[in-house]
Amino acid sequence: MNKPRVAVFDFACCEGCQLQIVNLEEQILDLIGAVNVVEWREAMSEQSHEYDIAIIEGSITRPEDEEKLWLIRSRAKILIALGACATLGGINKLKNNFDLNDVKKCVYGKDASKPHLYTELTKAVDEVVEVDYKIHGCPIEAKEFISIIRSLLIGKKPEIPEYPVCVECKAKGNPCLWEYGQLCLGPIIRAGCNARCPSAGHRCYGCRGYINKPNVEAAKDVIEKYGLSVEDLKSKMVLFGSRQDNTL
Amino acid sequence: MCECCGQDKDIYLPQLATVNKARMMNGTELYLNLSMDAEPLDYKPGQFVEVSIPGFGEAPISISSSPTQKGYFELVVRKIGNVTSMIHKLKIGDKIGIRGPFGNGCYPIEEAKGKNLVFICGGIGLVPQRSFINYVLDNRSDYGNITVLLGTKCHTQRFFHSELRQWSQRSDIRLLETVDEKDDCWQGNVGVVTTLIPKIESELGSAFTFICGPPVMYKFVIMALAEENVSRDRIFVNLERKMKCGVGKCGHCQINNFYVCVDGPVFRCSELAVAPEAI
Amino acid sequence: MSVKKLSKESLLNWVDEIISTKKKVYGVQKHKDKTDRFEFAPLDSTADLRLDYDVTVLPPKKYFQPPTETLVAFDLKGGYKAACDTEKFIVIGIHPYDMIAINQMDELFQKDNYDSHYMTRRNNATIIACDVATASKDIFASSMKTATVKKGYDILLTDIGNGYVAEAATKKGQLLLDKAKTEKASDADIKARQAVWENNEKNLNKHPLNCQPSEVSELLEKAYNHPVWEEKAKTCFSCGSCNQVCPTCYCFNVHDDMNWDLKSGDRKRTWDGCLLDGFTKVAPDHEFRAKKSDRFRHRLYRKGKYVPSKIGGQIACVGCGRCIGACLPDIANPVKVYNRLLEDTSAVKK
Repeated sequence: MNKPRVAVFDFACCEGCQLQIVNLEEQILDLIGAVNVVEWREAMSEQSHEYDIAIIEGSITRPEDEEKLWLIRSRAKILIALGACATLGGINKLKNNFDLNDVKKCVYGKDASKPHLYTELTKAVDEVVEVDYKIHGCPIEAKEFISIIRSLLIGKKPEIPEYPVCVECKAKGNPCLWEYGQLCLGPIIRAGCNARCPSAGHRCYGCRGYINKPNVEAAKDVIEKYGLSVEDLKSKMVLFGSRQDNTL
Repeated sequence: MCECCGQDKDIYLPQLATVNKARMMNGTELYLNLSMDAEPLDYKPGQFVEVSIPGFGEAPISISSSPTQKGYFELVVRKIGNVTSMIHKLKIGDKIGIRGPFGNGCYPIEEAKGKNLVFICGGIGLVPQRSFINYVLDNRSDYGNITVLLGTKCHTQRFFHSELRQWSQRSDIRLLETVDEKDDCWQGNVGVVTTLIPKIESELGSAFTFICGPPVMYKFVIMALAEENVSRDRIFVNLERKMKCGVGKCGHCQINNFYVCVDGPVFRCSELAVAPEAI
Repeated sequence: MSVKKLSKESLLNWVDEIISTKKKVYGVQKHKDKTDRFEFAPLDSTADLRLDYDVTVLPPKKYFQPPTETLVAFDLKGGYKAACDTEKFIVIGIHPYDMIAINQMDELFQKDNYDSHYMTRRNNATIIACDVATASKDIFASSMKTATVKKGYDILLTDIGNGYVAEAATKKGQLLLDKAKTEKASDADIKARQAVWENNEKNLNKHPLNCQPSEVSELLEKAYNHPVWEEKAKTCFSCGSCNQVCPTCYCFNVHDDMNWDLKSGDRKRTWDGCLLDGFTKVAPDHEFRAKKSDRFRHRLYRKGKYVPSKIGGQIACVGCGRCIGACLPDIANPVKVYNRLLEDTSAVKK
């Protein structure tokens, strides 16, 4: 069997998801043994125009990035969006809630108008090209990344959870954080992270995106029951939920 | 016997079988002829097996052959998900994991003796029905008239072509076919399978009827049979549900109080009166 | 088998000895993160054991049917090999309602097709049960007749104030109890234990069911199309929390994990839940129980009607109240639904 050629590209992101891959430690050798990595800026200097699987990290914020992504899409048989910036637009998408000029001034000050700092509204990868698979999370969950890659290597469609974080959180024996005053997004956010944040005592921030049919009515009911407002919930969702449908 | 727990049998442990024959029957259906490597498969018409592909999982598949055929069993598999896609890649001589046979709800071999039998099949609903049809043909004198109604979406999706031809040429079995979508290559009936039911009115009097097809079909066939005054205790349905374990534990195939995997997959329609989720 | 009395001190010494001699001992203790809650966890020190607990976050079913377990190992060359967990272990502090749940699971996993994975673990377990000393906020075991238990455990401990009454119910339990410094339980001790039982059978009842638990099955017979299913399910997140924390939920999913060699791997089962969207979904895209209200109803029918019909009529809700606490929109309480149906018999459509 020919090893599939894999290329990793990054756009607007912190590269933390790639770091999760580099941090696989001994399993990175298994990964490199199973695939033929032809381009990966974070880990090697070679470049290639021929690959079977393109892994895209980061969101798309500039016209030239869109063009680059179109080119990658045309070359790749399978295109994977890696991490919340690629799958949702991520934290970068926060800026879409404000006037772009204000955002630029706030970040770059008097340099804001310099041409190399030109930026447009943030897009998730699937707003620019067709995405075959999404590996969710900020950062991604290494175990899930491994499982998805192994699935693709044997020609199996990866199983990405459709159920909410609560399933994994409860199975781990965590008491519900709502009972401890935290506005946790677990009930409406896609699982697969093994309830990473709630298990560490932090509410779910929603980095894996909404489940397919989040129950908005239930969410309203619950926030009312806990004496909160829809605005409170919205403010918690804005971090990763700036574009998604099904919002309140 | 398991060395560590002393149990005779692990209900989740597949046994190996060898592929004797594998061929596509049309654009989507794969025919498989298999033999168990150790103990032969001791099954009844209506039972199913869990076919296992390492790394991909298992899929419940109806047995299509009649147990009167010894030394092998036959499956027909539609490519529909991860496991069935891999099953489609099997070649002659390949090994495959099999669990089963499963299902205590089988075709009523004994009770149907002496009765006229009507099989109403939609598409691959023919697959499990064929097991009992061929069983009856191999024990022909035990049963009354046999009528098979087969509805297929379009003629390119028909399968078991030569067997269907043989049935249509035999005098001791009557086959009526229809396709949903008419085209130039098809000379026969056009319309859904229920349109065939009035044509066999005279058969329905005391006949046992057996229905198998896509989920949407059952309600309409049962309604059509009701119009012909066929009582529900003479209607048998072969049902499909999501299944994981096949042995009545995992809960996925539950229809109200029934597990399709252990109580079915063949149910007497009158017994499903207490199971509104069934049809 | 014998009924003994242990002083509080000799109980502690006995648990010390159990911890020091056996490999795996699990016991009830404070939850590692949230110290106002309790959990079953490996017991490293006798001082951590809290037999006065109210309820644990997860039931002890996790030791018999773990959230994830390997059923079969596979190898493209060698075929399939059954996995088997043969480690012997002790669980200390199982409450009667949880014990009854385990008794029900024992029956269900043995019935029809013997599940050797569950049963091997069960047979390798020694259970030291204990009567409830503190009622949890949502317990309704008295309503479900699960406040006390008569079988399933190896040893039953009852706190009678000045010590514990310990009754060994099996040979395994007797051998273990023989290691403790005990005295013969006096008539007064037995009477005190009886008083604990009588009190629990009456007072572990924060959500009283307005009928006998054995009548629920018949009640549901007439309630299939009652509006309560739609009403409650309106605010259901389909998050499966009620399933995950339930001591009598045992549905599971099965999936394959391939190793990096892409030739070998494990077939695993994981907890699943009938409330989850997708539980009944088949390829390519048909879902048999697609409506939230149908899934919501299915759970309460399973507890009140379907499973009981397989285990001699016992209701498959043991009144632990965990689902009540785990359900954010507060719709999971079985008693509220069953009582509502009782009140509404006039509105019930057959």
